[in-house]
Amino acid sequence: MLSEVRFEGVHKIFGAETAVEDLNLTVNAGEFLVLVGPSGCGKTTTLRMLAGLERPSYGRILIGDRLVNNVSPRFRDVAMVFQSYALYPHMNVYDNLAFGMRARGAAGSVVAERVKETADVLGLGHLLKRRPSELSGGQRQRVALGRALIRQPQVFLMDEPLSNLDAGLRVQMRAELSRLHERFRVTTLYVTHDQVEAMTMGDRIAVMNLGRLQQVDAPETLYDNPANIFVAGFIGSPRMNFVPGRLTTTQGKTAIEFLGVKTPISAGSQLTGETTGGEVTVGLRPEDLMWGRVASPDSTLTVSAEVDVVEPMGHEAYVTAVCAGETVTSRFPPRSGVRTRERVELALNPARLHLFDARSGRTILQRPVAGGADVRRTVREARKEEPAEGRSDLQRQTGARGAPSRAEEIS
Amino acid sequence: MSAVAARRLADKELIVVPYRRVSVSALATNVVLILLGCFFLLPLLWMVFASVDANPDWAIKIPTPTLANFADVIGRADALSSFRSSLILAGTTTVLTTLLALLAAYPLSRMHIPFRRSFMLVILFASGLPVSMLVVPVYQIYVYLGWLDSLYTTALFLAASSLPFAIWLMKNFIDAVPLELEHAAAIDGASTFRILRQVVLPLTVPGIAVTAIYTFINAWGAFIIPFVLTYSPENQPGPVEIYNFMGSHGLFKFGDLAVFSLLFSLPVIVLYLFMSRYFSGAFNFGGAVK
Ligand SMILES: Nc1ncnc2c1ncn2[C@@H]1O[C@H](COP(=O)(O)OP(=O)(O)OP(=O)(O)O)[C@@H](O)[C@H]1O
Ligand SMILES: [Mg+2]
Repeated sequence: MLSEVRFEGVHKIFGAETAVEDLNLTVNAGEFLVLVGPSGCGKTTTLRMLAGLERPSYGRILIGDRLVNNVSPRFRDVAMVFQSYALYPHMNVYDNLAFGMRARGAAGSVVAERVKETADVLGLGHLLKRRPSELSGGQRQRVALGRALIRQPQVFLMDEPLSNLDAGLRVQMRAELSRLHERFRVTTLYVTHDQVEAMTMGDRIAVMNLGRLQQVDAPETLYDNPANIFVAGFIGSPRMNFVPGRLTTTQGKTAIEFLGVKTPISAGSQLTGETTGGEVTVGLRPEDLMWGRVASPDSTLTVSAEVDVVEPMGHEAYVTAVCAGETVTSRFPPRSGVRTRERVELALNPARLHLFDARSGRTILQRPVAGGADVRRTVREARKEEPAEGRSDLQRQTGARGAPSRAEEIS
Repeated sequence: MSAVAARRLADKELIVVPYRRVSVSALATNVVLILLGCFFLLPLLWMVFASVDANPDWAIKIPTPTLANFADVIGRADALSSFRSSLILAGTTTVLTTLLALLAAYPLSRMHIPFRRSFMLVILFASGLPVSMLVVPVYQIYVYLGWLDSLYTTALFLAASSLPFAIWLMKNFIDAVPLELEHAAAIDGASTFRILRQVVLPLTVPGIAVTAIYTFINAWGAFIIPFVLTYSPENQPGPVEIYNFMGSHGLFKFGDLAVFSLLFSLPVIVLYLFMSRYFSGAFNFGGAVK
């Protein structure tokens, strides 16, 4: 029953607007793939094409081994949670949930049982008699989710299914969805704007921008080795800092110069691309840029900065500081006591630098897949083994010069 | 104690909204509206008064009450048959128009049809054409086909003439049904027929009702077409009958005329009240889409 989903060279063009451009993506059988990207980048369009509501302008879409380009939505055996819910306004919650099963000719008693089960999972048990207009936004969203979950399709398509829930309910539903996926392993394509959802739920994350797929990788790979500046800036909160830098080579040794300091490329990392004239963009995650006083011993590089803004978040504080003319954000411990205009020392680990070609924005540094006690990592490893195939299909990008994909470099 | 005190305090701070001063323009508007209203209400008033007056004439006056006029009209065979004719005529027209309008409006609303916009504009234009313009050629066609003096063939032409507006009206109602609902139903595995019957049709009920009622009211009051296309007395619908009331008797029987008009307007009034329920948004798509 597990089916993989393949997009092969899929384009979707609306008049003058290209919503999706040359999408090549394989969702492995039983995989939970999270699709993220800024608003309007083509996520919903991608789901709609897979559901059969939109016909690709070019390219092929396969579910299992079946080419579905010309198969109507009814026969694709997918279930979809609409971004806009699309609940039937003239039916009560019960009938909304039951509609799909009845349409497929399920017996009344089976329907009643499944509706009850699903409604209980989603906490809708007491609302079955209500019409959608009598529900709150979050309740409506759960009905929309339930209408998909009640079925056992080949593929689940979920378009921001938890966006309207309060924080507590969202955590609960997230766990519930993960549990359901663990149990039934239905291939799932899941759109979200929530970083936590993306990082915790996805077997892999696909990042889109302007209709183009940027990178597909396991969450921690995406975080540690973003393929380009866009992915680096999009994944992670607060955002990665980008500062201009320079690559210099003396006696066969390559060093990076930025923020007024100079450091050799760290031992484990490997330069994978040429740069134009040594101009690079250096990426620094805020958690890698630490307050000098509490920095770990391997944070050997220090720079001096002037504090601009302190944003206390409770368990930590984001400190925006100006350093050699560049504004950078750093994660400080809570109650550090630093104030605006104060001079502080920031320390960073040279092994944690990201390097991008200043011109193309592509990464030019392959970092070792980081070890260490990362919670996400341990969770991940407890999961099923990652399918090796298609694990890191770095996508072609605008102006790419056929650089080798990092997948090949890893192996 | 403290709660009560707090309540008091809040009471004192109630914001008093002053009455809006009546502006000159608002006054003028209302005066004009009242005058216009009188134009429509006075004939109605005459109708009501004259119907229960023992010796009515064309002036509005306080009636000398009697029910004789009612007894008189209800006893007349031609009055009853005209009701029957009107019912057949308006009923057939309504069924035909509503059904055809629904079938035409759905694809016009949902499918990519070449020149759809221009087509809708032509329809809108056609709905504004005066029917009387067509009466002479239509009469000739009916003579040619041997269709004269039948309520059903007359209904056919009434339906044809009311169809453009009905299509236009219906399309707007169907446009309001979110397309995503049909998509959701299709993904849920419903067949086209099931989608139409269980999703689109229930949500289009207000549109169907409004179109049907509107068509019925128009056909009920149609005069020129049945007047031209029917001639035997038992096929004369109400409006033509009223005309006969005035023409055939040298002396007007004002009382009978008033009673007949009153009875004849009753269905229209009831239907209007019914229709306003749908127009006032008793039904909506709340909760369907964000
Ligand atoms: N039916 C359409 N006609 C024309 N343009 C469309 C249509 N549907 C989508 N688009 C365009 O395609 C692009 C992608 O839209 P899409 O709905 O896939 O974005 P999205 O990634 O889902 O965004 P969001 O996160 O805001 O939901 C947008 O620029 C949008 O304007
Ligand atoms: Mg979307």
